[in-house]
Amino acid sequence: MDTSRERDRPAPPATAPAIATDGLTKRFGRLTAVSELSLEVRPGEVVGFLGPNGAGKTTTIRLLLGFLRPSSGSASILGDLPSGDSHLRRRIGYLPGDFRIDPAMTGDELFSWFGALRGGVNRRRVGELVRRLDLDPSRPFGQLSKGNRQKIGLVQAFQHDPDVLILDEPSTGLDPLIQREFLELVREAAERDVAVLFSSHVLPEVERVAARIAIIRAGHLVAMATVDELLDRARHRLELRFAGPVSPALFAGAPGVVEAEARDITATIAVDGAVGPAMEAALRGPGLLRVRSAGDDLEELFAALYGPGKEAG
Amino acid sequence: MLAVLRQVIRRRRLGTLWWSLGLIGFAALLAVAYPTVRGNRALDQTFAGLPPGVQAALGLDPGSGLTSPVGYLNSQYFANILPALFLVFAIGLAAWSIAGDEAGGTLELLLANPVSRGRVAAERAGALVALLAVLTAVSAATLVLLDPVVGLDKGLAGDRVVAATVASALLALTFAAVAFCVGASTGRRSLALAVSATLAVAGYVIEGLAAQAPGLRPIRAASPWHWALGSAPLRHGLTWESWLLPLAVSLALFVLGAAVFARRDLR
Repeated sequence: MDTSRERDRPAPPATAPAIATDGLTKRFGRLTAVSELSLEVRPGEVVGFLGPNGAGKTTTIRLLLGFLRPSSGSASILGDLPSGDSHLRRRIGYLPGDFRIDPAMTGDELFSWFGALRGGVNRRRVGELVRRLDLDPSRPFGQLSKGNRQKIGLVQAFQHDPDVLILDEPSTGLDPLIQREFLELVREAAERDVAVLFSSHVLPEVERVAARIAIIRAGHLVAMATVDELLDRARHRLELRFAGPVSPALFAGAPGVVEAEARDITATIAVDGAVGPAMEAALRGPGLLRVRSAGDDLEELFAALYGPGKEAG
Repeated sequence: MLAVLRQVIRRRRLGTLWWSLGLIGFAALLAVAYPTVRGNRALDQTFAGLPPGVQAALGLDPGSGLTSPVGYLNSQYFANILPALFLVFAIGLAAWSIAGDEAGGTLELLLANPVSRGRVAAERAGALVALLAVLTAVSAATLVLLDPVVGLDKGLAGDRVVAATVASALLALTFAAVAFCVGASTGRRSLALAVSATLAVAGYVIEGLAAQAPGLRPIRAASPWHWALGSAPLRHGLTWESWLLPLAVSLALFVLGAAVFARRDLR
């Protein structure tokens, strides 16, 4: 994959995290929306923040921006409490999950207004973003399609070249071309040492830009790993072709093999984690001719992590 | 400077224009209708025969009949219609200022910018005062300009019309401050509307009933209706307490609402 090189690039170790939560907990009455959540995003790093709807992603983001106060633990951006100095927010770009503005307001009006609030409008940057996202900024928000509304949200999040980007389900409603351009904007930001927290409920879009993935379920962080580490833990499907007829019993007792089927000379197996033991078992079969990977099933890993009752380490 | 305040004014300018035209139209209608009422003794006698409580509720006082300029404008405008119009405008805007914007999902986006919650509250309250001041000026100017044309200036100086208009605006500002305070501290727009509108209607009823029921007078003393209208500003102009009390109470409510807003979770 073309992004694997970037993904493997280690984050600079000496820099302090731009976004950090430590034991962050938020309770609403008896409901615990976020529980003991600790995660860090360093400058230049894109962290994918994944979880099913209602897992606590948006609550975490609202805690980071200071809209909610933690019940315990802490959240900080650029070393400061979000509820403290409001000038800090000049360095934050934020796209809410449900981006809405006054329906009568045009994109241009919003960009000028927010520019003024942030200490001046960068017209050149706004113009570039508008062009790259193919947005008509002169039309009132209320007359725009879902995708075009989202583009206004993206421009206002990027227009002041912030040091921290917090994006809540940012590509909602974007068509594939614009989505690619948007991911390019995220990549460029990371190259300029911007810290990006990118929330989503689906993996593929995040996988293309994120160095690390944080997975949250029912308010708990259930995994924090690079995409490759997640792949190592994912379920692999392998198709094995032998010189002679083969039986599923060949794989009985091989560690990690969770499914085995055989038809004539072809066996199909599913392996969780390392495939070594399964291959050793296959070598005892009637002449292994070929191994074909049916792909890494990250979606299945996510199903397992998201699913009820199964805790992943 | 004041980018939050200016945004409210930009957003509300068309609505404020329509409100202004409505106020001008109503004041003009009132003025044009006066010559048909003036000198109609039968009307005066009819109303003089009503119970004092009803007369008070209509804005009539013993000193001026319905057909005199003071009695006419007070009973047809300053004691009911104008405060009601100002109240609807100001309470609606105040309930939107924090709670309505919050419920609409647009307040958080603003607060992700480098502006403090205190600044947003202060500038939104400032915008409310500014827009209410525009309506006050438009309404007062219309009557001051039209009164001499129709003879409503006999025994009624222009500054008294201004004083009565300002009194109505201050009354509306006080209940708007209630709506602002409730909305800013709870984030609930409907609660803000309900509390402030209930208090405003209750105050109006008490003000009318207290003329007959002396037992209600201690309650009436705490009512913005009484602060604004009790001293008959159309006849006597504004007294100290008729502008200082509403301003002080409004300011306290705005500050309280902003202080709670700065510390609570957004909804």
